[in-house]
Amino acid sequence: MSEDIIHPPLLAQTDSATNPEHVQWMRQAMQMAEIALAHGEVPVGCIFVRDGRVIAQARNRTNKLRNATRHAELEAIDEILADKQWTPALTPYPLSETTLYVTVEPCIMCASALRQLGIKEVFYGCENDRFGGCGSVLGVNAEVPHPAHPAYEAKGGYLREEAIMVLRRFYITENANAPVPKSKANRVLKTTITPQTSLQSQA
Amino acid sequence: MLDPDPDSLEEVVGRFIDGDLDDLIPEENLPFTHLKLVQDEEEEVMSAVRTEQAWVVALPDPKQAADTLKWLKISGLETADMDHLKRIRKQSSQMTLLLTYTRTHPSPPSLPPALALPAPYTLLVPRSAALTQTSLQLKNTLWPTVYAPRRKHEAEPWARARVQWACAAMRRVVQEARAARARGELPIAAYVPVPHDDETRAATQLSKPLIAGDTRVSAAHPLRHAVLNAIRAVAEYRAALPDASPPPASADAVSEDMREACEGGGATRNGTHYLLTSLTLFTTHEPCIMCSMALLHSRVKEVFYLIPMDKTGGCGGAACVPGLKGVNHRYAINRWRAGRDWAVECGLEVGPGTDA
Repeated sequence: MSEDIIHPPLLAQTDSATNPEHVQWMRQAMQMAEIALAHGEVPVGCIFVRDGRVIAQARNRTNKLRNATRHAELEAIDEILADKQWTPALTPYPLSETTLYVTVEPCIMCASALRQLGIKEVFYGCENDRFGGCGSVLGVNAEVPHPAHPAYEAKGGYLREEAIMVLRRFYITENANAPVPKSKANRVLKTTITPQTSLQSQA
Repeated sequence: MLDPDPDSLEEVVGRFIDGDLDDLIPEENLPFTHLKLVQDEEEEVMSAVRTEQAWVVALPDPKQAADTLKWLKISGLETADMDHLKRIRKQSSQMTLLLTYTRTHPSPPSLPPALALPAPYTLLVPRSAALTQTSLQLKNTLWPTVYAPRRKHEAEPWARARVQWACAAMRRVVQEARAARARGELPIAAYVPVPHDDETRAATQLSKPLIAGDTRVSAAHPLRHAVLNAIRAVAEYRAALPDASPPPASADAVSEDMREACEGGGATRNGTHYLLTSLTLFTTHEPCIMCSMALLHSRVKEVFYLIPMDKTGGCGGAACVPGLKGVNHRYAINRWRAGRDWAVECGLEVGPGTDA
């Protein structure tokens, strides 16, 4: 029943969003999202890649740390900056040669953090309608001017449907962390995915 | 070790020392101004009502309402930006069901054959909730619309005692920023005081103030901003409470549509001892976009700052994060009057390109 409702990805996305190199990296980010799910965290995962190798991988830890700002990206950034191998000396833009792969579009907070650190570029899975900082809600990566930090490119659509489905799997389970859990016994896992309606300008 | 507070601060604080603590201070005499987040668009005449096309379907039999609503819930057609519209319109005996916007579904949505419904058609519906009774009446002629007058974050009355509380907090955060400068850091600090009223104090379970300076120099970490450090201090304080109930801190990690797609309702976060809910944050400099969004994720109630950061700030400068369309929480922004003078006297200036 669901097959006829799933729309094919928009043509403009197909060119880049199926690029095997990016998809392969995104698959590793997706594994981090799965780990987050297994730990009762919102399943968002990411990896940072420099010179063809993964220098950090992380996932959300907001519940564990009781801190709504501990998104996957900030967790990984802390690892990179604390590691002398990857940050021998602090430069103004320590991530200028580093690419981020993250399963969900970075939120406004993370998008700003990445710009402040001079990230080279960002590839993400699904867009984030409520908090997206790379065009969905605010274009912190490029559109919003900054007197010092260069803009960066953020491209979406890589393993998009998998990114959406892992989030749905999280929200359909009883969130044991909620103070007064809401019964989710009647929930149905939706499998239909609507296409991205507008392609954000991504640079 | 610290210099005494400058005269400008003493002068401002001094104005609120004498007098009845319960006196309400008129807005124009407050030591800060309240930033209006959203400019409400007037929709008081039909031509001003913003609309868009939606797919609707007539229900031949009113008894079909329950079944079609049930199907609609799992159909994937509903989107969060339809929340201001009622799902069913009743006109005399005719019932019509709202399906989805044509923007998201350019072709007519397919309906379950079992329900034997006629073909959907398009109709203009209001784009937003009604803010006034007049606009509600106008909008209801198009499609039944939710009435949601804006009350939140309108300027609230300030009693003298509460103004004194705010002055003391601002003074404390300035001290901390000067201490940060003395340590070789950027002169930026953030402070979450114990709430002024007993009720909020009890509800937020915050019995001691938390303060943080900027540490990006000593930590060799460009993101160790005062506001993020303060948020972390609150998190650690809460984690250390003996009876800390488990935190639902994940609420914001992604689109809530996702959550709604599964549970068919908004996320619930009950209890105000959640992150920075109901708490006020004072800071010397307008928070950067990262920190402004971190405060939104943390559900802070209001933010006060001294120095606007026109080129990098996320609370009215380069962007106004809590005023963005789509975000699921709003907090009030208050800018201290003549804050820049005060900050300059205290040596709290930073470059215009700095993310505070």
